Amino acid sequence: MPDNDQSNKSVEGGPVLRDHVYDGIQEYDQKLPNWWLASWYIFIVLFVVYWVLYYQFNFFPEDSERLEAAIAEIDTRKATELEKLMTSLDNDTLWEMSQNTQIVSAGEATFQSSCVACHGTDLSATLNGVKLPGEPLNDETWKYGGNPMDVFQIVKNGSPDATKGMVAWEPLLGPKKVAEVVAYIMSHHTKPQ
Amino acid sequence: MTTDTQPLTKATIEFDDKTPRLFLIATVVWALVSMLVGVLVASQLNFWQANLNLEYLTFGRLRPLHTNAAIFAFVGNMMFAGIYYSTQRLCKTRTASDLLSKIHFWGWQGIIVSAAVTLPLGLTRGKEYAELIWPINIAVAVIWVVFAWNFFWTLAKRNEPSLYVALWFYIATIVTVAMLYIVNHLSLPTTITHSYPIFGGVQDALVQWWYGHNAVAFFLTTPILGIMYYFMPKAAERPVYSYRLSIVHFWSLVFIYIWAGPHHLLNTDLPKWLQMLGMFFSLMLWAPSWGGMLNGLLTLRGAWDKLRTDPVIKFFVVGITFYGMSTFEGPLLSIRAVNALSHYSDWTIGHVHSGTLGWNGFMAAGMIYWMAPRLWGTKLYSINLANIHFWLGLVGILLYVSSMWISGIMQGLMLNDIDESGTLLANPNFVETLQAIRPLMLTRVFGGALYLVGFLILAYNFFMTIKSGKPVDETREVALIDRKTSKTDKMTWGETWRADPVAYTFVALAFMCLWFFLPSGADVAALVCVVICGLLALQKFKRSEHGWSHWYDRLLENWMPFTILTFIAVAIGGAVQIIPAVTVNRADNVEDRLQIPYTPLELAGRDIYVSEGCYNCHSQMIRTMVPDVMRYGAYSRIGESIYDHPFQWGSKRTGPDLAREGGRRNDVWHYQHMMNPRELEPKSNMPAYPWLFEKETDMDALPRKIFVQRRLGVPYEPMTKHEITQGALEQATKIATGLIDEGVILPGENPPTVRAVKISELADKQIIALIAYLQKLGAHEVLDPRGPKSLGPFEVPDERRDEDEPAAIEAEPVAAR
Repeated sequence: MPDNDQSNKSVEGGPVLRDHVYDGIQEYDQKLPNWWLASWYIFIVLFVVYWVLYYQFNFFPEDSERLEAAIAEIDTRKATELEKLMTSLDNDTLWEMSQNTQIVSAGEATFQSSCVACHGTDLSATLNGVKLPGEPLNDETWKYGGNPMDVFQIVKNGSPDATKGMVAWEPLLGPKKVAEVVAYIMSHHTKPQ
Repeated sequence: MTTDTQPLTKATIEFDDKTPRLFLIATVVWALVSMLVGVLVASQLNFWQANLNLEYLTFGRLRPLHTNAAIFAFVGNMMFAGIYYSTQRLCKTRTASDLLSKIHFWGWQGIIVSAAVTLPLGLTRGKEYAELIWPINIAVAVIWVVFAWNFFWTLAKRNEPSLYVALWFYIATIVTVAMLYIVNHLSLPTTITHSYPIFGGVQDALVQWWYGHNAVAFFLTTPILGIMYYFMPKAAERPVYSYRLSIVHFWSLVFIYIWAGPHHLLNTDLPKWLQMLGMFFSLMLWAPSWGGMLNGLLTLRGAWDKLRTDPVIKFFVVGITFYGMSTFEGPLLSIRAVNALSHYSDWTIGHVHSGTLGWNGFMAAGMIYWMAPRLWGTKLYSINLANIHFWLGLVGILLYVSSMWISGIMQGLMLNDIDESGTLLANPNFVETLQAIRPLMLTRVFGGALYLVGFLILAYNFFMTIKSGKPVDETREVALIDRKTSKTDKMTWGETWRADPVAYTFVALAFMCLWFFLPSGADVAALVCVVICGLLALQKFKRSEHGWSHWYDRLLENWMPFTILTFIAVAIGGAVQIIPAVTVNRADNVEDRLQIPYTPLELAGRDIYVSEGCYNCHSQMIRTMVPDVMRYGAYSRIGESIYDHPFQWGSKRTGPDLAREGGRRNDVWHYQHMMNPRELEPKSNMPAYPWLFEKETDMDALPRKIFVQRRLGVPYEPMTKHEITQGALEQATKIATGLIDEGVILPGENPPTVRAVKISELADKQIIALIAYLQKLGAHEVLDPRGPKSLGPFEVPDERRDEDEPAAIEAEPVAAR
């Protein structure tokens, strides 16, 4: 390889070839591609425009404001939904629902995906004889009251101290599914006369 | 050039080719190790049992080993091989010191081996790609200085006055990595193997991703670009496409890259200006990155036919193409809206692998195939095998990257999906989204394995080539520079700055920084000054293009001013982002919510969490996004992790976020879940952690840890050693009592039967400390929002708290928003 070959001058009509040679490596001095420069300038301009719009004109809402507005709207809708359900929901309705096979099987599906981990597939809160973290739901002992509405409240809001009990399920499942799950649980019990 | 006017003294020099040979062998060996560990951890994401139920092989401990090995062992050794080989030839001199080269090589291998031992043992700093413990950090810094010393000494002795573009990139690499590494590893030790980083919470997050992102930039990109600039024109036997493109893309790349770090923290509670800088500098980085790709690929103009015949060119072309692909993808992922979908998902994993396997891996292979025959004075053992490697590697990486695209987008869409009612998550159960991507994660294992097989073939080819030749040290006759008469390395500071466009550019940059910080109105004035200075620089440049190119030619003949200018270019971005964040985003200035410090036992649990590498799969950062809030609770405020040394925001959600895990589930749940996650979530792929039920919490270390935490500014009340250990034991006993009374089963063959004995047995175990920590996650006090703004400099911070609302002081129950 030619070492430091100084003889290369500009090539006629072609791109400029620089004189200097490094360990046999030569360099053209081509112009910067226009599309490449344009793609760069676009983002620089975009940056400046966005920054000015944000700080001078408060054009974009703050993340937290935008988020809290969206969450507030969802909460209102949920509250309305819940309120609607609660007006029609009482112990008797839940007992009735526990006799409705369609509702019970919907509740069972939710129970099997979300509840069995702690309460067991057979509601006994055991797995192969080992105690699971939840309360058994197939006996007649109710830690927080055995009326369907008591059960509904616990599933909905979680136990008073979550470090010793259950998480609130209403935020994840919504009121309708909570009611269905309660109907499923109550289908294992009979309404006291 | 300057040497033309001088009488030439000639001398014959022998290059030190032994050092590149050693580094080349190390490259091949560590490539196989890092990829093998990669395939193992990838398969653990489908089959957790692949850890053989050994604590040393769990994902949380091996994933840091994989990343560190790939970056520092594989690419590190490859970079050193290329730098030692090309620098001598570009400087026309032998490397300055054989001893320093030897210390560098063996020191670096020693560091890698000690990393491979400590990481599986769970000894870690808990920061990504910065996991190594502090004694190893010091070793890395020392060896890096040895390398830098050797390199700059070689530059100072060079017989080629002008610095070739490859050397620019090496210089940028050396100074920037030193800066990043030192700042991000500042820690206070508690023991010989454990330390806490001096930054906490949001500061630590910023410093970490300033480092993390620029480890990619200055460890995986700039040195490899330098290698490309040397080996590509060599292999293609064609001139480099454009010198001025080299100049423009080098300076813009090193300047802009540093600013892009906050794009790892988008859509969080991080101050908006930092998020905007992170996003837009990433977008502005696209063109400078592609400048490198264009210069690499277009160098082949007129030699495209070699693509068919020469395996070296094939590897280089695919490598550079992947560089272009991933530097296009990077800015795309930095757009906040895209990031909302992609962050924490496999898309990011695919992105980094198209960088390391696509760009670094293919460039490494090309370089190895080029160097091996020359360093051992022989021919490549088999071109056919190289071609087979090429196709296996290409198919492997394409399978890998495309499966990660689909997986990331699919899981991101599922996690962010809201059902038709508009009020509930469509997929409330996190594990369902993992189930959906399992086949894709399996495809990734297959793609990665193909890539590994390709590299095994390379290793065979490489060692057969070595066997067929014998080590050759090249000798060459060179013209020596007479340092007394030559103008080389004689540029003065004044001469460096007296070039108009340069001075104007720096003034423009200073105004740009003012623009970010000045209050409304003044900032626009600063912006106008930026534009004026920019136009002035342009005008001066246009008027005297020749004068400027003369200045640049002079700069290239002076390594010291060049290095200083490079350092200034890379230092600005970090300084602008980190210094304000460190001075402003402190606990005293927190509004809204403030973290409640951990009790000693909870701190011990946190150290176990960090040590097991839980952050590799679980984030602790609920973003300012509706689906995140619906799934995990109120978005994470900056103040809620302000005392976390290190921060644990995470970068990937293979499991759900844990920022508000505290108080959400009961202790029994956590106990059973750590014992066997599948008992509580049948589809879970989290490993079981039985050793946490056997190993004891190191309570004796706590006084020292609390002492260090206090030094770092965590507001612990003064406590005696006895109070610390006693307090920890009391809390542990309380948790253990609760668990025993709930009827949990202790592991072990002969569990004690007496209740009191059971409790005291259990209280010492690591699982109790870990549960204490998990139950604390998200604990905070709510501050009066009006407080901080009216707080005078001498007021006691406690007065900010709204004492009319005692409930606000308590940790909020966090199940709902």
